[in-house]
Amino acid sequence: MTRPQPRYRRSLGDLSERALAFWLLVPAGLLLGLIALYPVLRLVYTSFFQYQLTLGPEASFNGLENYATALRDARFWNALKNTSLIVLITVPGALVVGLGLALLANLPFRVKWPVRLGLLLPWALPLVFVGLIFQWFFDSQYGVVNDIIVRLGGERQFWLFRPDLAFWAICFTIIWKTSSFVALILLAGLQTIPKELYEAAEVDGASPFQRFWRVTLPLLTPAILVALIFRTITAFQTFDIPYAMTKGGPGNATETLAMYVRVTSIENLNFGYGSALAVLLFLLSMAITVVYLRYVRGADE
Amino acid sequence: MNPFKNLRLWVWVAAAIVVVNGFFPSVWIFFTSLKLEGELTRIPITYWPENPTFQNYLQAFREQPLGRYFLNSVIVAVASTLLCVGVASLAAYALARLHVPRRNLILSLLVGVSMFPVASLMVPLYQTFNELGLRNNYLALILPHAALSLPVATLTLVSFFAGIPRDLEAAAMVDGSSRLGALWRIVVPLSAPGVFTAAILAFVNSWDEFLLASTLLPAKAMRTLPVGIQLYQGEYVFPWPLISAALVVALVPVALVIAVFQERVVGGLTQGGVKG
Repeated sequence: MTRPQPRYRRSLGDLSERALAFWLLVPAGLLLGLIALYPVLRLVYTSFFQYQLTLGPEASFNGLENYATALRDARFWNALKNTSLIVLITVPGALVVGLGLALLANLPFRVKWPVRLGLLLPWALPLVFVGLIFQWFFDSQYGVVNDIIVRLGGERQFWLFRPDLAFWAICFTIIWKTSSFVALILLAGLQTIPKELYEAAEVDGASPFQRFWRVTLPLLTPAILVALIFRTITAFQTFDIPYAMTKGGPGNATETLAMYVRVTSIENLNFGYGSALAVLLFLLSMAITVVYLRYVRGADE
Repeated sequence: MNPFKNLRLWVWVAAAIVVVNGFFPSVWIFFTSLKLEGELTRIPITYWPENPTFQNYLQAFREQPLGRYFLNSVIVAVASTLLCVGVASLAAYALARLHVPRRNLILSLLVGVSMFPVASLMVPLYQTFNELGLRNNYLALILPHAALSLPVATLTLVSFFAGIPRDLEAAAMVDGSSRLGALWRIVVPLSAPGVFTAAILAFVNSWDEFLLASTLLPAKAMRTLPVGIQLYQGEYVFPWPLISAALVVALVPVALVIAVFQERVVGGLTQGGVKG
């Protein structure tokens, strides 16, 4: 109990301060233990069992069999492929669109609220609602998208009924929904870049393009990295937008990992296999999170 | 600094792009909600509603328990927000001000937990709440929603608490306040903006959440707005007049919250990002 704690020595004893800290952390620990840590442990445990309620109430241990099943399961690989494609398309897509929006929003506006709300509104809309609204946009008969295409002289498309078009429609929707969050993060980053740097570059005769490449982009890199990693992690967990737009169809053309987890465990009540799939999704997300903690958080400590 | 000659014009164009991009889907769904079925299923489609009417809203409330869904969403969002912010404030105070062993490890764990995929938590939570007989009980959603927002709320509050001068607190304690008294009378009022930011983020997250809401509160009388409205669509029919009106009703609270507190929301969202 002789640990040096000069700051608080005079007001409170070391022991009671540590006790107080402990008790203040207990509720948070309980809540996260109950809702996050215990479920993860139970998930891993269940994934080692053959346990499907529609076959019977008993669970029987079958080791890594569920994982072996997943490796042979074409629907799992399809979901993994769709999820990876969504990550590969929508993360860079949202980054580019978000950067564009941030650069536009960073211009000197006299009235700031319309632009700020223009970035905030897409972020605040529930994902399921965005999915529903864009399903209406992509409606083959009464949708805005086809109306514009027809007015421009193009052909009406059956957006959500053709596997490839449905996939692109979903990617488009995800990029629209997520780019505004990226823009908000990048905008905050842009606003920390000192104006003098631009002035100095201008004095040196740098063109606007050079100023962007040599000043803006390098100084924005930390913010871009944060947005990139956040988006990547959430993109791996994509569920709501494809669920609202296509339910994974046509066929399983737009089914993501999270959707397959839900179908397997909640709709088919196959907890054993569903848990194994959920563990795989969990491991994917955590792998990226570890990279995040290493390179982003670690970098500025 | 600016490359363009006619600056004001470009600023207007830029603002228009950002505003149209952000507002168009919401405005479109509002216009849709004012059109009757006959106008909605006509080609070519109309952009401006011909005979705007609130008929769809009456129908939306009459044909579906939309009011009940709204109430469920309010109960879950408000209760989980209060629980989350209350618990987060205590933890954040300890992490920001007291000697906590392995503080950085705890902060990193919080970030890690905030990245847990909800779809993975869904399976064991479904099993657990089922066994406890709590499925279709508000608690089954309030606790997870509070827990999901807890890491971000705690991290937000840690940085707010850390920004309050220690001298103020010390002064209160010299005046005879206990540490908890100082927390209540000095730290809490001064960090009200931070608490508020955390509360808004938690509220919006809860209001928007679908996956857990649909698995843990599936009974018709217990559905939240995203779950209830999503289920309006039948296998082949798509009652757009109903859905669009219901969507507008469901969007009003979040739209109001972010419109009124926009600066705070932007601050809360970007703070973690920029500071890392």
